[in-house]
Amino acid sequence: MEFVWFWTFWHWSTEGFRSGSLLRSPLQGISSHWDEWYQHEASGTERSAIDALGFSVFEQRRFLCWLTRQWAKDARWRGELLPARYVLAQLSRVRPFETWTAFEKYRTTYGSPGIAAIVLDEDSTGKSEDVRRVEAVALPLDEDAASAAIVSDGFHTDAGELSTARRAALSLLNGKGLIVFLTLWLLMGARPYPRYLRVLLFAGWLLVISLIVRLLTGQDPGAGLITLAAFLFTLWSALVIVAIGVASSLAINAWRTGRALRNRVERRQLRFRMTDGLSVHGGSAGLALCLNSLLAAQRSHPLLANRSWLWERFFRGLRGASRTWAATGIVDADGSVEHVVLEPKIRACVDNPAITDVLTPWQPDAKQSEVQKVVTSGRRAAPARSNPGMVLGFASTKRKLRSHRCRHAAQSLMTIGDFTSRPQLAANALGLVVTVVMALALPDIRNVLLPPAAPRIVGPGSPSPYYLWVSLDTDRPDAFTAELESSFWSNRRADVFAYGGADASVRAELRLSRNGRPGTIDEQDGTVWIQRRRKFLGREFESGERVASYPFAHVTRLPHE
Amino acid sequence: MKKVVGIESLLAWRRQRAEAEAPPAPSGAHLLKLVQPWWEMWPDRFAASVRRLAAVQLSYGYAMAHPPHGHSGHPVAALISREQDGDQEAPARILYVSVRDGRLRLRFQLAPIPRSDRVYDVTFISETGLRPILSASADLSGEDEYRLDVELPSDLAAAWQSLKVTDPMPFRFILRPADSN
Repeated sequence: MEFVWFWTFWHWSTEGFRSGSLLRSPLQGISSHWDEWYQHEASGTERSAIDALGFSVFEQRRFLCWLTRQWAKDARWRGELLPARYVLAQLSRVRPFETWTAFEKYRTTYGSPGIAAIVLDEDSTGKSEDVRRVEAVALPLDEDAASAAIVSDGFHTDAGELSTARRAALSLLNGKGLIVFLTLWLLMGARPYPRYLRVLLFAGWLLVISLIVRLLTGQDPGAGLITLAAFLFTLWSALVIVAIGVASSLAINAWRTGRALRNRVERRQLRFRMTDGLSVHGGSAGLALCLNSLLAAQRSHPLLANRSWLWERFFRGLRGASRTWAATGIVDADGSVEHVVLEPKIRACVDNPAITDVLTPWQPDAKQSEVQKVVTSGRRAAPARSNPGMVLGFASTKRKLRSHRCRHAAQSLMTIGDFTSRPQLAANALGLVVTVVMALALPDIRNVLLPPAAPRIVGPGSPSPYYLWVSLDTDRPDAFTAELESSFWSNRRADVFAYGGADASVRAELRLSRNGRPGTIDEQDGTVWIQRRRKFLGREFESGERVASYPFAHVTRLPHE
Repeated sequence: MKKVVGIESLLAWRRQRAEAEAPPAPSGAHLLKLVQPWWEMWPDRFAASVRRLAAVQLSYGYAMAHPPHGHSGHPVAALISREQDGDQEAPARILYVSVRDGRLRLRFQLAPIPRSDRVYDVTFISETGLRPILSASADLSGEDEYRLDVELPSDLAAAWQSLKVTDPMPFRFILRPADSN
């Protein structure tokens, strides 16, 4: 077994923690534990073996490889894989590793790059160095009461600022922030449809619209109305079910995964690292810290976020953005992003060639046009090299800094995950309008596809001899019309409505007027027909089948009470 | 003219000269004073520090939603005694404690203070009697931790044998920067 002495140390550390001689867990206190073990517990042979490694850079690197590839996988703490780079960063500060060349790069980094923060030096008007790399790792939290939930490493800042950024991250994982994100995504977020399905769904919505237009403006389909209505309803229902089903399942999945991630963060210590030993005043690094907290949560269990398409896509984007994006903005605990002094920060981003995108609060000077002005002025102000006889040739592409404005941190999730989709927004708007129209037309479609049972004529009758009340025992008045056919009275047709008041009933009111040329002198002559009504929104089609008929005399004799 | 001098006489001459130039040997009383602990040398100062240390009531206030379980340490009241700046309270966290083979190995961390020193003389004051029970030197180890390794009197070794880092500590600290001695 290679490097057995490191296993001896790890065993001493874990046993020391379990037996109560060490306060901090083997992971949290690894540098301190190593220092104690190496200097006072290791045997002479072990110390010689360790020191012998230090003489050769090749051997040092071999140890590093073993530590990251072998030991970090085998030596689990509380059932979890160990963050190898964090361990290396901690060990790089203690003897004998503090002098080892192979540990050099770990002295200033956890190896977990994140979104950069823009923290201006005192009196700086915006320089490349003001764009600071921020790293974050989430470690299992010790039970020690004095163990902080958030630790700043390499810089000092108000603990409240860090705490607010953490709370905003928790809100984004599972809280108000996530609700805002899901709402934005539902409105304009890309869906995980394959291309053919996206085209098919869009064509489906267009077909629904054309069917609606056909029903509203085309010829009366006659008997074909049922087929048309059935097709329209089925197609619309299928589209709505697909849209709602996909969106809700993704949203629920994101909520559950977010809750799991949040629980993870709550049980962990977040460690932020920013070099240069700054004492950070103000909260404009809040947005960057918040986003890096999310990244730390994901890195603590990379497979967890893969359960949700939304989170997986966002974290993929965040990892990709971690070397080229910067963020500035004060976040509150709910994730709202507040204004900051922006111009020098934009200038710093312009000055830093690695930065291509910057997340900013929603303020006027963060508009792309304003940012481009700073970019242009920065180019003009660049000092020209005075070398006689030489002319500078600009073969580089034009410097472009994209500004992404956010009112809420959830918008930065939309941006980083590249969720915003204009075609989806258009499709959603179209679908929403169509659905509203269909919702209004649903009672009519229902009457066509699922007609109610034929009603009976019931009381009350009309109190006036000039009117004929045809009261029906139905709860769907809009499905019927009443028609009077008589040789004595003028033929009339009336729609059925639900009337309220003292004479409340579902009835059609037919005004009685004598026929100009009566075919009979019997004023009780006539038949009252009940017909099915066929309509679609405001358009009336030819009446449907007659479902009942009553003698005129029977209807007039119905009591008013 | 060459003068012949024997080696014995040259050595004798050199010894006489060294004896004449050497400072006088310290008296027994002075030697006793040098090994005297500081609390006996400056009893008034020690009494004042102990009074202040005794007044420190230190415990964690649990304002969290769920009480901690298992591995939670107890802060140790500590007083940094500087001649120029006076006394300064700085609670200490015990990070490692081990009593083995009659020796105490201890690592502790002080609460953030404006100025920290590389070496402290640590005086252990008993929690119950507020008496000095042990003195040792603690060196800065790492960035912000101090470490000490000291032989224990047999009675303390027996009493602290089973001491765990999560137990309430039976002592308080008076820390004196080593250069102030």
